[in-house]
Amino acid sequence: MVMDRRLCLVSQHFGEVEWDPASELLLPSGLPGFEDERRMVAVEIPAQRPLVFLQSAERAEVCFVALPVRTIRPDYELTLGDEDRIALRIDEDALPELGADVLCLALLMPANGGVETNLAAPVVINLHNLRCVQSMGSGSPPRRYRLGDGRWVPVC
Amino acid sequence: MVRRRAGEAIVLGDDIEIEVIEISRTRVKLGIRAPRTVTVLRRESAALAQENQSAACLLSAHPETVVDLIRLLGNSGSDFAKTTPAGADM
Repeated sequence: MVMDRRLCLVSQHFGEVEWDPASELLLPSGLPGFEDERRMVAVEIPAQRPLVFLQSAERAEVCFVALPVRTIRPDYELTLGDEDRIALRIDEDALPELGADVLCLALLMPANGGVETNLAAPVVINLHNLRCVQSMGSGSPPRRYRLGDGRWVPVC
Repeated sequence: MVRRRAGEAIVLGDDIEIEVIEISRTRVKLGIRAPRTVTVLRRESAALAQENQSAACLLSAHPETVVDLIRLLGNSGSDFAKTTPAGADM
């Protein structure tokens, strides 16, 4: 008999978070500045969609707020470099489809009293194996967007 | 400026060596030998590390901004719930 083993962490922001180990995101290299964060959990709160919270599976205090890139820029197209493909285990000639094969999340950051994001560096999740990488140089310019009056506007 | 060919290297100090492994039309592959205590980053990674540090503060330092964000964005759903076999439960 296979036991249903679930993992749990008391998040600083959400309280108790429980998840199936099979749903854990694997970041082979962590994220720049967070190189030791190799395991994360995507937390979705129905009332707060489309926000996705990337909660560290090991450090209760580490949590990123993210949005799927196409909620910011509907025509966003992902460009993956060779190293990203290797980390994600995506064949070099494969054309992964956003939403079906990969999910691209833009990390949100506070800036100038509001919220900004860098679309050139989304967290890319291979939905087939849940491996993740923060891609650099993805998408076409402009890279930085700011939320103002309910709309995302390019700032540079 | 130092000119090097594939297979050649430069040495920084006593214990850091950077070797040119391969040169292609648009890229150069470098091999770096350095102590584990030395952080080696692409320049763009270093800038991104600062952005990520800032992003990690959004929820803890600016919770009111996240509340505003939720109100502004509305509840339109994301791709993740449709495609992930089992997400986290709250």
